[in-house]
Amino acid sequence: MTNAIEIQSATRTFGRTTALDGVSFAVPEGSICGLLGRNGAGKTTIMSIIAGQDRPTSGRVEVLGHRPFENESVLSRISFVRDNQRYPDNYRLGHVLRIAPEFAPNWNADVAAELVEGFRIPTRTDIKKFSRGQLSSVAIVLGLASRAAVTLLDEPYLGLDVTARALFHDMLLRDYTAHPRTVLLSTHLIEESEKLFDRVVVVDRGRVRVDSDVDEARDLAFTLSGTTAAVDELARRHTVLRSHTVSGLKSVTVLGAADDAVRADADGLGARLAPASLQDLVAAFGEEGSEPIEEGARA
Amino acid sequence: MFVDKGPAFQQLAAKIADEIVAGTYPEGTAVPSATDFAVFHQMNPATASKGVNLLVEMGALYKKRGIGMFVAAGARDLLRSQRREEFRKQYMEPLLREARVLEIDVAELHHMIDEHEEDET
Amino acid sequence: MSAVVSTVKLHLNQRVGTFAVPLYIAGTVAAFSVLLSLLFWRSGSLPGTAGWIQGSQSNPGIAYGLVGFLVYFGVASVATTFPFALTLGATRRSFVTGTLLWYAITAGYITAVLAVLTAIELATDHWFAGFYIFDVYILGAGDLLRLVPIVFLGVLTALTVGGVFAASWVRFAARGPQLIAAGVVVVIVTALIVALPAVSAIVDAFQPWWLAVAAGVVILASSVGSWLLLRPAIVR
Repeated sequence: MTNAIEIQSATRTFGRTTALDGVSFAVPEGSICGLLGRNGAGKTTIMSIIAGQDRPTSGRVEVLGHRPFENESVLSRISFVRDNQRYPDNYRLGHVLRIAPEFAPNWNADVAAELVEGFRIPTRTDIKKFSRGQLSSVAIVLGLASRAAVTLLDEPYLGLDVTARALFHDMLLRDYTAHPRTVLLSTHLIEESEKLFDRVVVVDRGRVRVDSDVDEARDLAFTLSGTTAAVDELARRHTVLRSHTVSGLKSVTVLGAADDAVRADADGLGARLAPASLQDLVAAFGEEGSEPIEEGARA
Repeated sequence: MFVDKGPAFQQLAAKIADEIVAGTYPEGTAVPSATDFAVFHQMNPATASKGVNLLVEMGALYKKRGIGMFVAAGARDLLRSQRREEFRKQYMEPLLREARVLEIDVAELHHMIDEHEEDET
Repeated sequence: MSAVVSTVKLHLNQRVGTFAVPLYIAGTVAAFSVLLSLLFWRSGSLPGTAGWIQGSQSNPGIAYGLVGFLVYFGVASVATTFPFALTLGATRRSFVTGTLLWYAITAGYITAVLAVLTAIELATDHWFAGFYIFDVYILGAGDLLRLVPIVFLGVLTALTVGGVFAASWVRFAARGPQLIAAGVVVVIVTALIVALPAVSAIVDAFQPWWLAVAAGVVILASSVGSWLLLRPAIVR
């Protein structure tokens, strides 16, 4: 399978801040890939670079086999609306719907119309006055109706209500199966979206922490919980990503797949062993390196 | 204790298997396509295909080229016998473990089951 | 090439702004000019007298009204449209080219509007009442051969200057326009230092075409400046 997106050792610095630090990953053509991580992890910067709105300070980025920066033919096959997208002065929805097809050769007006109606996007209000959810809706309309070979959805859920989220999933999956494309979706709301993905990339502080098939991601980490003594004993042989202690009880997320030996040991010590969910994994990487959190300190 | 619901494609396969055993999809009839399952459960289409293919490999479903996916003859028995084996692991083991914790002995457990059966019928 | 045309369409997408607002402004200025003329009249000046004509023709209201709007328009065409153009998939190259093309279209349109209005004003003997609204010195005093280059170059200058300020803002945030303003002041003061001893000779030798050349230089510098500023610009 060829890759729609390939990033090799991309670093991006803004003055003294390092937004991306040697990021490498690839997204195969036709994949729906989740780009997960905490706010400020570097998700939007990665997408900006893929969409040619930004350039890495060093490293290499290729989309559909070419560098995207200033590349007209590649850019016409990418759709990217950033989470804080700005629109020209006095713009209303109609302005967006009128101009978008001009730049998106595969634009589908029916998809756009169905989403506009489903999301109930106001047509007589200036976009400047839109709520967070309405802005997200406009971004989803642009993202899905463009039918771009590479579709980047940046935090599409912000401000969306339950009905709108279901509509988004429904439309994404229906239109994707009819017109396959490569989708990269960034979010920090993991439980909401994880079923959509066949691949996941987890970033934290500008580095890629996980890049795997979604089924394999289940074997990347597991959690152990029980008495502090038991958990400490079990965790000794593993890399602990995150730990959580409350009066004599402890729970840790550790790197690696749980083998039969550790399962037997856990049973013997009366500790619980469970696979880490994607959410646990992202939270663990997002917390790793910081001090272990005590129950009291968190509140 | 190890509780694992398995990856998403296994969960979908289990759901479809449930429906076949329950008779929702009778033998010889068509089941929704992987795409339909994907949209219905709001999951990745590739993952849904993987789940459906698991049942194809098992012989519970078969593909008619260009038409769709059908429930194989004998699929119910096949799935039921497989589920019987799993019953022990999925229900008996936790039941007995919990009973031990609560200090319910085997005789009492038998009694409880009989009693429950009577109430039900 | 197609993205250049698309960029022009992106700018023209704001139909009201491009086509109607210049008309509103011309209309508003016309109304003010009429009111002002009435004021002259009430204060004793008589329509048709030399003083009346001289006073009316010196009124540069139309230019002030349009210039403010056009500079804003030039700023908006880059400041808020550039990020959106990149989102739609325009390259910086096609955006800058398309924007310049659109500036030229806008300048042509406003030139045509003012030329037509001036022609009507002349044909109707100043709206049958001696009102000088477009037949004013700043627009060539009724000479269409002068009006066309004055308006076209004037509009283009205002738009490109607005554009380059916005481009500097897109690139360097608040520091950008400050740097340009500082640069312009340095250039002007330096020019004055060099030219001051000869200033009366220069004033005596002044030819109107110098202004056209100056406008050309400003337009060229602003356009090249916009391109250099936007070429490596990123959106955050």
